[in-house]
Amino acid sequence: MPDDATHDDAHDPAIDTTPEALPNALPDATPDGVVGAHRPISDAPPPPDPARAARAESRATAWFIVSAIASIALAIVYWRGGQAQAEGALLAVICFGIGFAAITWAKHAMPNDEVAEDRHSVASTEEEFDAFTTDLVEGAEHVGRRRLLMVSMASAVAAFGAALLFPLRSLGPRPGKNLKHTAYQGGGKRVVTADGQPVKAADLLADSVVTVWPEGHTNDGDSPTLLIRTRPDLNFKPRAGREDWTVDGIVAYSKLCTHVGCPVGLYQADSALLLCPCHQSTFDVLDGARPIFGPAARSLPQLPLAVNDAGEIIAVDDFDSPVGPGYWDRGR
Amino acid sequence: MSKTRRPLPVPPKSTPLMRRTARWLDRRLGAADFARAALNKVFPDHWSFMIGELALYCFVVLILTGTYLGFFFDASTATTVYHGSYEALQGVRMSSAYKSVLDISFEVRAGLVMRQVHHWAALLFLASMVVHLARVFFTGAFRRPREINWMIGVTMLILGMINGFLGYSLIDDQLSGTGLRIMYGVVLSVPLVGTWIASLLFGGEFPGEDLIGRFYVLHILIVPVVIGMLLAAHLFIVIRHKHTQFSGPGRKEDNVVGERMWPTYASKALGLFFLTAGVLCLLGGLFQINPIWLFGPFDPAQVSAASQPDWYMGWLDGALRIMPGYEIRAWGFEIPNPFFPGAGLGGITFLLLYAWPFIEAKATGDHREHHILDRPRQRPLRTALGVATLTFYLLLFSGAASDIIASTFHLSVNRVLVSLRVLVITVPIVTGFIAYRLCKELAARSGLSIAPTLRERRAASNEANEADADADVADASVGAGVS
Amino acid sequence: MTQHRPRLRSGHWTLTVAKIAVVFAAGWWFAGSSATSTRAAPVPVDGQRLYTTGCSSCHGVDGKGIVNDNGDVRGVDLTNAGAALVYFQVSTGRMPLGDSNGPPVRKPTVYDDDQIAAIVEYVAAFGDGPALPTVDIAGADLAQGGVLYRESCQACHSASGAGGALSYGRSAPALDKSEPLQVASAVRAGPGQMPVFGPESIDQASLNDLVKYVEYLRDPDDPGGAPIGRTGPVPEGFVALTLGIGALLAAVAWIGTRSPIRGIRTARATAGSANDESRASGDTHA
Repeated sequence: MPDDATHDDAHDPAIDTTPEALPNALPDATPDGVVGAHRPISDAPPPPDPARAARAESRATAWFIVSAIASIALAIVYWRGGQAQAEGALLAVICFGIGFAAITWAKHAMPNDEVAEDRHSVASTEEEFDAFTTDLVEGAEHVGRRRLLMVSMASAVAAFGAALLFPLRSLGPRPGKNLKHTAYQGGGKRVVTADGQPVKAADLLADSVVTVWPEGHTNDGDSPTLLIRTRPDLNFKPRAGREDWTVDGIVAYSKLCTHVGCPVGLYQADSALLLCPCHQSTFDVLDGARPIFGPAARSLPQLPLAVNDAGEIIAVDDFDSPVGPGYWDRGR
Repeated sequence: MSKTRRPLPVPPKSTPLMRRTARWLDRRLGAADFARAALNKVFPDHWSFMIGELALYCFVVLILTGTYLGFFFDASTATTVYHGSYEALQGVRMSSAYKSVLDISFEVRAGLVMRQVHHWAALLFLASMVVHLARVFFTGAFRRPREINWMIGVTMLILGMINGFLGYSLIDDQLSGTGLRIMYGVVLSVPLVGTWIASLLFGGEFPGEDLIGRFYVLHILIVPVVIGMLLAAHLFIVIRHKHTQFSGPGRKEDNVVGERMWPTYASKALGLFFLTAGVLCLLGGLFQINPIWLFGPFDPAQVSAASQPDWYMGWLDGALRIMPGYEIRAWGFEIPNPFFPGAGLGGITFLLLYAWPFIEAKATGDHREHHILDRPRQRPLRTALGVATLTFYLLLFSGAASDIIASTFHLSVNRVLVSLRVLVITVPIVTGFIAYRLCKELAARSGLSIAPTLRERRAASNEANEADADADVADASVGAGVS
Repeated sequence: MTQHRPRLRSGHWTLTVAKIAVVFAAGWWFAGSSATSTRAAPVPVDGQRLYTTGCSSCHGVDGKGIVNDNGDVRGVDLTNAGAALVYFQVSTGRMPLGDSNGPPVRKPTVYDDDQIAAIVEYVAAFGDGPALPTVDIAGADLAQGGVLYRESCQACHSASGAGGALSYGRSAPALDKSEPLQVASAVRAGPGQMPVFGPESIDQASLNDLVKYVEYLRDPDDPGGAPIGRTGPVPEGFVALTLGIGALLAAVAWIGTRSPIRGIRTARATAGSANDESRASGDTHA
């Protein structure tokens, strides 16, 4: 038996994973003390079974040839204009050929004896460790005695670290007011479709929806807006205080989900629900776009609407609250 | 020559070129001794020890195909008009980035197959890392002295996820833009610093002009280089520790039994690389992945049904979907809903992963070195915890497919999500319990010793209290020399 | 007879156009017949009789719908349904309903073309609704249609036309079986949960473009191999986690299966043998 104390400071007999504890250990298992002691168990590597090796070698040769042929075929396919499926399949055959050949060769025609190698604890010996810590502590004491020097060095390094942060500031503007407003701010802007056309109230049929932006800002990421005209029999009722925010039954909500900001693109006309395809937040258009299912916890911001003299829909003001996903000081 | 002693095998004379090259190198590096040790490095033989290699080979394929794609990709958001050979996008305005990926897919010969192999390799890189992590977890290969390597591995997993996300975000198609938008919302939800981080990362409000260029630098340089360095450290530490092994005849804590590196194992490893590359090429050639030409260019006002992330981000997306609509608001401040399933769950997940070796050592009181692996059934509690955790994340992933599940099986998406809210809590408990009973049963049948329960271990450790106290003091100096 | 046309597999654009042209011819004819009914049929098809036997049990003989005693709507009011809606519902087999509990789903229609035309004409005459649209995709702009599709349709029907789930058990159907006139009718009429897109938001030229793109999505120029459901990255991930990782694990399992073990030997050399000597004192066994 190996001397536990020399290997393991706290060998726990409760977990015994040594072979002799295992009933499935082979009866002719190598006796302890032989393995790992630089003493050979058998002399030369056992030669692979010659007949088996010969068969494996011819299989491997065949695979190498298959691989080479596939390479030639790939060159032809590429030269003739290429075809993704053929290229992928041929690349696969090339790789499989080499792979199967190498493994077949290794498994059956290369030395496959098992050897045991000693393993020592990763930690250094006590002497090595002592020598190291002595040097370390000595050096540290030498440095540590120069208190002023130490403090000034630490300050310099800390200041340098802080200075390195300044260039990071160039990466983006200070987040602030721009998260709380859209281009609708100030009011009076016409709403336009993606191609810049203003929308007349009469253009919008019952049960229909159109995505609009503030005029001149059709590329803004934060201001896409849904204009929805619900069916008369669904009895849309504006929220208290928002009675005059609609035009002729047309209501406008921010298209950005209040969850993480996906466009709430699905309008289910029959039930007047808006559904976000990303995370299935569902908003009730008839009730101020209140979230009725899913992770969103806030109503979609509503845009107060009016019509100008030309009968085109305009926004009276910005959305009632910041659009899109929430953040920690959204309400401040 | 004495055949029985074999002090040093005589190099065969029939390979003068090999010998001459080696001689040339040795006279300059003096590495013969080290190189011989490397040739004779012992690899314990178990199929599960090669899973980490799969991740390595996927990474190699990623570098190779990624370099090729990099030659053609144009990381620019400048607007351009498409006039390539794909009919259905003729004359459509789009970013240069998206156009260059369309060109890779339609104009560059062999470009499409490279792109698809790259994407499949990314999916399988992450998959092999997760399976490798599971193998290491269930066999207890993370225990002392391998905690550092465990943490390096977890870091590579995180970086792999990040780089995968960066990679599919570069294309600037509708799907990737939707993913970025979600990421922006999740970053924004972090209390106090979220708005700043989002602004600095995206260069202002979403979508911003700078994003693609920045992500490109991260995707092709910073993250892969860090992964590469960690990979080198990971492998170096494996060599330093030597491999773990399962118990068996002649296998002990102080040896490692297996095949030598040269030539057998090297040949097998080479073969495995080619088999991995072959599987990736086969997938890349025969199975369409991310048909970006159908998704169209990104437009911040648009979204498609069935928008999901790649699978390794799927658990986060699923958590976002499953989370009920609550958030915390007070005095104008709030912790928005996505923080909890997004940054919160992600943070806790990786924190627990990093800390696991220390948590387990603390719980079991076992701070010793281990080189012989556990069979999963020998550790019923750990195995049960692992099974429950995997079940939990698998269910979260299925949450990301809530709409697909609903439309495939003609269910209500609302019912699917409500059911998942219950199932993500209950099913892991059930599977964990089943795993626990199964471990006990299997261990009993095969006659394997089961690790003592916590209580037994506490009792044992109280008896040996003094010895433990000594061990704690000498923790860093445990070695063969201690006596 | 069935309205199903086998999905175009051929990549030949000319053939596709030819087939589409045939479909349009039929479409034009419906449009004409609903308006003028000038065609001399060998056996006149009686729209009223078809309506009475097939539709009136739910929608009422007068088309005003039927509400059950408990307040449930048995059949909706068809007064202002319009030709487009009726054509869509009947030609896609959604009406008459097969399962009166679930939402209407596409199935082989029970009527032939003449009978559908007759029903459409009869019901459209009840009131005022969107007329059967005309559609001509021969000269339409495919790419522009794609732009419109992504603006207005993909949120529900998905970028690939595979359809998708809506809330509370409803779903947007896949578009792979939709004929051009059916698509155009649906755009104008907004059947079920689908919103209405009137001529002010999608004009006739845009409608042609859009329908051309939907028709294109049935058999798109689609390199890259077998499409995996075309429903986004989750099915791709599923393939990676089953087929992909399965194949890789099979490879390592094969490699990891040894030929018979022939005994254990010591290493020819151990790494860093010089160091080992100094450190290995504790490792020599008793």
